[in-house]
Amino acid sequence: MGVTILQQFPMLENRTGPQTIDFLTKRVVALGAIQCGQFLVDCDTYMSTPSLGPQRTVHVMHNSEQPASVFSLLESSGKTIPLVADGLFDLLMLKMTPIYTKKQTKVESKGPRFELADFCIKLGSVTISQNFKGVLVEVEYRPCVVPATCWDLLREFLQGFLGSCVPSMPPQYLQPRMNEIYQPMDTIQQYLEHFSMYRKASGVLQFN
Amino acid sequence: MAYSVNISIEAPVENQIQEITYDGQEIYQTPLTMSESLAKLAQKIDFSKSACDDIKKELDVSDGTDDETSSKDPSAFQSSLWPWDSVRNKLRNALTEVCVLADVLAIAKEKRYMVLDPVQQEMHETKPIAQVYARKKALAGAASVLLNGSERLRACQNEAARNRSTPDFHIELLRLRQNWRLKKVSNTIVGDLSYRTAGSKYAQAGMFEVTKAEDDNERSNSPPASPGANPKPASALRVTVPSELQGVAYIAVLCQKDQEDLCSASINLLGSAPKSSNADMHWQQRLEAAQNVLFCKELFNQLAKEAVQLHAPIPHMVVGNQIMASTFPSIQLIIGLCHSTGAGGDKKTGSGGCGAGQKAEHDHVLEHSLHQLLREVHHKNTHHPFPHPSSAPLGPTKRRCLAGPTAADRYQLLEMTKSQTLLEQIIQQAQHFFLRMRTEYVLDTIIKEVKDPLIISHWNALNSPTFSCVKINIISHGYDAVGRTSLIIQVMEKTLKCVCRDGRVMHMSYEPQELRDLIYCQIYQHQLTVVQALARCMGWQYLANSAHLGIGAVETRGNASSCILASPMGDRLIAVRCEPQGGMQVSIAHSPKKDFFSGQLVKERKWENLGGSFKEVRWDKMEGKNFLNKMELLMASLTSS
Repeated sequence: MGVTILQQFPMLENRTGPQTIDFLTKRVVALGAIQCGQFLVDCDTYMSTPSLGPQRTVHVMHNSEQPASVFSLLESSGKTIPLVADGLFDLLMLKMTPIYTKKQTKVESKGPRFELADFCIKLGSVTISQNFKGVLVEVEYRPCVVPATCWDLLREFLQGFLGSCVPSMPPQYLQPRMNEIYQPMDTIQQYLEHFSMYRKASGVLQFN
Repeated sequence: MAYSVNISIEAPVENQIQEITYDGQEIYQTPLTMSESLAKLAQKIDFSKSACDDIKKELDVSDGTDDETSSKDPSAFQSSLWPWDSVRNKLRNALTEVCVLADVLAIAKEKRYMVLDPVQQEMHETKPIAQVYARKKALAGAASVLLNGSERLRACQNEAARNRSTPDFHIELLRLRQNWRLKKVSNTIVGDLSYRTAGSKYAQAGMFEVTKAEDDNERSNSPPASPGANPKPASALRVTVPSELQGVAYIAVLCQKDQEDLCSASINLLGSAPKSSNADMHWQQRLEAAQNVLFCKELFNQLAKEAVQLHAPIPHMVVGNQIMASTFPSIQLIIGLCHSTGAGGDKKTGSGGCGAGQKAEHDHVLEHSLHQLLREVHHKNTHHPFPHPSSAPLGPTKRRCLAGPTAADRYQLLEMTKSQTLLEQIIQQAQHFFLRMRTEYVLDTIIKEVKDPLIISHWNALNSPTFSCVKINIISHGYDAVGRTSLIIQVMEKTLKCVCRDGRVMHMSYEPQELRDLIYCQIYQHQLTVVQALARCMGWQYLANSAHLGIGAVETRGNASSCILASPMGDRLIAVRCEPQGGMQVSIAHSPKKDFFSGQLVKERKWENLGGSFKEVRWDKMEGKNFLNKMELLMASLTSS
């Protein structure tokens, strides 16, 4: 368990999603990383029925890095309540269909997973109901659990193979939590931030 | 009878007292009138008593007159003398009967309509005989029941009197019931001695049958054979155990080195030699033995299964009743199931393990841990960690249950899936056992070999089956306060770890030579450090010190070390060279050279202060008990001279 930074990689006009992933894979392998299987992060969104008062949204997410857990984020009246549960939570949501209905389509980020010394690199292509949306790069630095102490290292490492698209400031979500111990839930929160951005945007996200 | 006196008896004049009022006044009954007293007396007459006589009299007298008088009288007195009514009724009834009888007789006289025949009197006579007969029969039945009962009671009493010590069947059954699981199936009592309720999943059933011992035939045989010689009473209860569970079984554990026993652990759980005839044993012992057989079988079965499934670099072998697993090169762990069936005397089914187990020295530890391991498995099967959510599956460990909510990652989950089989655990324990023994042996031989610094080893009394610790102190006799070297050696399954006082950590393999070398190095290091400490006490200066001297012959282990000491005046030098192989060499030098001769190159006298060449001291000729003592004397002599 370490600190994870999630970073969007800009799509170029003349490249498709798989081409971008291939391009990044070559770079990462050139650094000496070894591919260790695949990874998958998915997100289902449930909305409460309007008859129950103010509308609430539940995001149910899975991360292949924590295969025994189900993460859920309840958004209600401006607050976000995180919850980590075990696999039975999925079955519980099935029972809750009268209250929470699956409104939006599933968002997924999946792709190859690499290990390079203390780093774990994941190149994910984001799809919303099978439509390609963009590329998310996740880098984890495993020996450290406090983001503030390893942010500079991570930024440098990210810039090393992603280029100038990496900002000098830590991600929005992590900024108030830089001196706290990093939790797996924090990774999920970052994914949710990016997923909701992809949902709002129509078509493939472009960066200039 | 002149003196006869007429005595008249009459009722007293006083009237009967009816009531006494509270003030003592007596209220008398009014006396009866003549008619009243007559009626009273007439009521007392019992007419039925003399009914026959009356009828006979009336038969003789003509009907009419009687009829008139009797019918007239009641009617006349009816109103005034009501008490006469019963008399009247009775008379009337009698009259009716007499009339009827007269009519019957009149008819019978004619012999036309009616004939009077003598009635058979036998009817009355046979009836009592039959009754008597029936009563006799009933009494005989009741008597036989009572006699039977009394007979049984007497037999029981006689039996109890004959062998007062024999316990009752039912009491024995109660005792059995307190310790074993029994149930009644139709007419038989069946018990279960398997460990299934304790969490075992072994398929073999451990059923036994409980019957009442038939003492009679046995009794008839035994008294002539041994009259009072056998004080132990036979039990009233007999237990029948299936043949495959009879006898005595145990697991023999041996460590073998190239067919030669190094150590062995073989234990008979009952602690006693297997008895030849099981029939003589008490049921409790028989059942315990059978249960033990079942347990040993389950244990061996489990181990054999694991031995086949386990993929070890050197595959484990299962041959017959023996499992062979390799622990260290050329050292094997042999686990054998020994089962001697009681009926045929000492018929051993365990082939190799048993014979070797008998002669070798018993060590209960490994065998005991095998039992313990299986019991742990049983315990885990029945005791699931709390809580048990109704929706969650039973069985995963507590850590696995919490893995979801604590968001354990894939590495942690992978770690959780790893579990050791019984065989792996016992092999580890055997390895540790063996390594510990080896370490003990190495240390003891070194302690025996090396006399000069004393080596003291303390084994920790508390240790786990796969981890133990020994603390080694090296001290010089008589100079304990000057300095000591202590180190700790941790004995694990396949490796040793040595932690020195200064924080150095050294890992060693299971080869004993490595430990030997390490201890020898420590011994010489100790000598050198203690010499330095002693020099400080004596006021000597120590000039140089090298733990790894680069000069001299190449050592087989470690490097030679040395130190140079200077006397308080600075005019004498002592050099100590310490080779782990060769021992200690001590040389001395004088600072103003005693044998300075000016040559062509060094002409001036001042150069004699540089110090001369070192001369080796013949150490074995030195006075002193040990090295440090000799050093002390040497320093003292050099200081004084």
